[in-house]
Amino acid sequence: MRRLTAAGVIGLGLLLTAGALVLLVGSDHEEQAVFVGVAYTLAAWSFILGGLVAWARRPDNRFGPLLVAVGLTVFIGALEESNSSLPFTLGFVFGGIFIAVFIHALLAFPRGYLETRLVYAIVAIAYFALTVGSLFSSFFDDISDDCPECPPNAFLIVDAPTMVGVIDATLIAVGIPALLASVYVFRRRWKAASVPIRRVLLPVYLTAGVTLFLLAAALIVSSFSEEAAHSLFWVVTVAFASVPLAFIAGLLSGRLAREGVGQLILELGQAHAPGELREALARALGDPTLRLAYWIPETRSYADVDGNPIELPEGRGEELATMVERGGHPVAALIHHRSLEEDLLLVEAVAAAAALALENERRLVALANAQARIQALLDAFPDLIFRMDRDGVYLEFKGKPEDLAAPPEELIGAKAHDILPHDVADQLVGGIQRAIDTGEIVTGEYTLELDGVPRDFEARIVKAGDEAVLIGREFTERNRAQAELERLHAELQQRHRDLEHERDFIRTVVDSTPSLLCLVTPGGYILRFNTSLERLSGRRDGDLVRGNAFWDVFIAPEEREQVRTVVEEVVAEGGRGEFESSWIAADGDRRQVTWSTTPLRDDRGQPRLLICGMDITERKHHEDELRRSRARLLEASDIERRRLERNLHDGAQQRLVSLSLMLRLAQARVSDQPEQAANLLGQASDELAQALEELRELARGIHPAVLSDRGLGAAVEALVSRTPLPVELELLDDRLPEPVEAAAYYVVSEALANIAKYAEASSVAVSIASVNGHAVVEITDDGVGGADPAKGSGLRGLVDRVEALDGRLLVESPPGEGTRVRVEIPCE
Amino acid sequence: MAYRILIVDDHPSFRATVRTLLVADGFEVVGEAADGRSALAAVKSLEPDLVLLDVQLPDMDGFAVANELLRQNGTGPTVVLTSSHDESDFGPIVTRCGAAAFVPKGELSGGALRAVLR
Repeated sequence: MRRLTAAGVIGLGLLLTAGALVLLVGSDHEEQAVFVGVAYTLAAWSFILGGLVAWARRPDNRFGPLLVAVGLTVFIGALEESNSSLPFTLGFVFGGIFIAVFIHALLAFPRGYLETRLVYAIVAIAYFALTVGSLFSSFFDDISDDCPECPPNAFLIVDAPTMVGVIDATLIAVGIPALLASVYVFRRRWKAASVPIRRVLLPVYLTAGVTLFLLAAALIVSSFSEEAAHSLFWVVTVAFASVPLAFIAGLLSGRLAREGVGQLILELGQAHAPGELREALARALGDPTLRLAYWIPETRSYADVDGNPIELPEGRGEELATMVERGGHPVAALIHHRSLEEDLLLVEAVAAAAALALENERRLVALANAQARIQALLDAFPDLIFRMDRDGVYLEFKGKPEDLAAPPEELIGAKAHDILPHDVADQLVGGIQRAIDTGEIVTGEYTLELDGVPRDFEARIVKAGDEAVLIGREFTERNRAQAELERLHAELQQRHRDLEHERDFIRTVVDSTPSLLCLVTPGGYILRFNTSLERLSGRRDGDLVRGNAFWDVFIAPEEREQVRTVVEEVVAEGGRGEFESSWIAADGDRRQVTWSTTPLRDDRGQPRLLICGMDITERKHHEDELRRSRARLLEASDIERRRLERNLHDGAQQRLVSLSLMLRLAQARVSDQPEQAANLLGQASDELAQALEELRELARGIHPAVLSDRGLGAAVEALVSRTPLPVELELLDDRLPEPVEAAAYYVVSEALANIAKYAEASSVAVSIASVNGHAVVEITDDGVGGADPAKGSGLRGLVDRVEALDGRLLVESPPGEGTRVRVEIPCE
Repeated sequence: MAYRILIVDDHPSFRATVRTLLVADGFEVVGEAADGRSALAAVKSLEPDLVLLDVQLPDMDGFAVANELLRQNGTGPTVVLTSSHDESDFGPIVTRCGAAAFVPKGELSGGALRAVLR
């Protein structure tokens, strides 16, 4: 509070006091002017000065201003002393406002503000009753009835004492419960208050309680006896004026407690057990609820003496924290009752006195806290921990006994070499010595057989003074899990590879099979097709084709409708069917395809139809060719028969007929013309010789006997001997299957005949060889060439004969460069 | 007076032998023909009494020639068919074609032809 404000308040107070005294002196209706003057001055200034003291100590607390307001509002009542009607009436009506302000201040004590709805309600009732209630009553109250000397009521509307009685009774009916409620609130606060605050509250509540009691009594009494009430109001005034004094008294009791600090310093000087510090501080502060919170730097938080975390109080609760620092660093916090806020100097003095002791205790708490954390960490460790000296003697261990190589009681004090296998012990002790000598962390792995089970451990050895700490972590399970994981991973990879191989295999099969594969929807729409079908159709599998009806893309136009119908039928009947159709390529090329449909489901379970086709165009062609070839063979056979018949008839038969006639003629002439007969017989003999020759020739044409008897080589030699051209021969000694020899013979025979007839050749070469199970016959000449096997029936017949044996006949005969006929016939 | 005969056969050696045989037996051989068409022309120009006609000729067979002779001229020469085959090889066509007789080549003689003419 600024001094100016205080001066203003005092000035205003003095002005109002002077005014009140002037009114009093001049009053023509005040009978006890001296007493009233003293009472006003005492009550008002008691509050004004008390309020100013409180305001000065706690500028942010509204309790001080409230007390000042009580003191100032007291002077409103002084207007009643005026001899003029309006000021008198105003004083008469609003003179009690100070009581409402007093109740307000009392209920706001010691914090300066109202806390609960109940308290608000009580204060509101008080203000209402002493302003509106009082004003309303004045409309019907002719004051001159009770005070004939008093000026007339300026607000009087109608003199209605009954109405005034009803209004007053109503106000009392509301006021009494409000007062009782106030008592309840004070009682509750008292019960909740700590010892130091009770020390403050007690005188205030005592005087206020007495004042309120007397006020209530005066109000009740006023209904019956104006005189008695009037006397009581004086008593109330005195009690009322004592309230601020009570506040000062409570305040002083806080200040007196400071004497405890000296005692505290004495107590702190003596050694004390944990907790004694808190008790000493609680005594010094007069707050048995005091708690100590120690600052733990590691966690940057507060903890109690047992290391439990503590949250510092915040806001407007019952507790308040006062920080204790030392050398600029937080040490602890004193958590004390909010009432000590009234005497922060005391708290700070106590805190300063105890800072060193608190710092010491804080360190202990922090240490204990750190130890607890490390212990918790160690307890949470799954690892084995050994403390060992440089000779490998076990000093201490932590861990499960079943993980130890020996029972715990045997372990401590024993040497590693007494417990562990020699090599492991060597390894450990070597590691311990290295760790101690170098300060480095030594790591290693070792295997121990515990209860017959080999177990793998990982060791970390750390120097600790002139000892070492060995941390052993088992990784057998981890190893197994790792191995299992790796195995599963490998298996998974293998399965993945297998699936990939399978997929690649299927893809390769699908793409390399000569079968035409096309996957369609049950409605016949193309989903995809394979490479063979791409080749056959001349269309790439892709978006241009996919989604079109299978028949519209692949089937010849005149058969599309039919195929669409049969596909619909097979889908309706389960999906399996076999068909033969004419398929058409993008370039119009037609292929005969036999195809089937198979129902299946794709990888998403959708019904599909697999169309699997086989291009049989070539097969058909071969079949047709075979049919034609057979027909030609038959025809050739018939022609041969006719030729034979003709040859027999025209040749040998004619000669034999002539011979017969000659012999008959000779017979008729033998007696009378013997010379002519002899002549005829001579002719007959010639005729017979020629007939025989023709028969032989004929028989050779049917099947040369030498071929059957002596084989292909001899037969070809015979052929060549009858050929009028020089022939170079290369023959095979081995016999070949009879049909092969016959075919080869006729090829050579026909070729030589053709050469003799057309080739105009000067030399011929015939070779017969066996190559890779095939008989290979070649007849080459140096003639005019230009031979065409398609034209001459002779060669055509030979082609048929050779192809009937699965062989082939090739003719190369470029014009002017001779002719080469080559035949290859398989011999098996 | 000797019968006038036309020999029709495509084999010259046969024609020569038959001519010798028939002349020796007192027949007059007025001509020879090697095929059907020249046979028909020779009949028209030579007007033989008898045509000795081979069944197998290069252009048309003996039955066709006989038929033609019969159709052209109702009072034509007597046609005697001959062949190195037997008559049974040909069947009823031998009698239907209008020929007077069939004599196998091996049995030809003046006597055999006279028997037909009588």
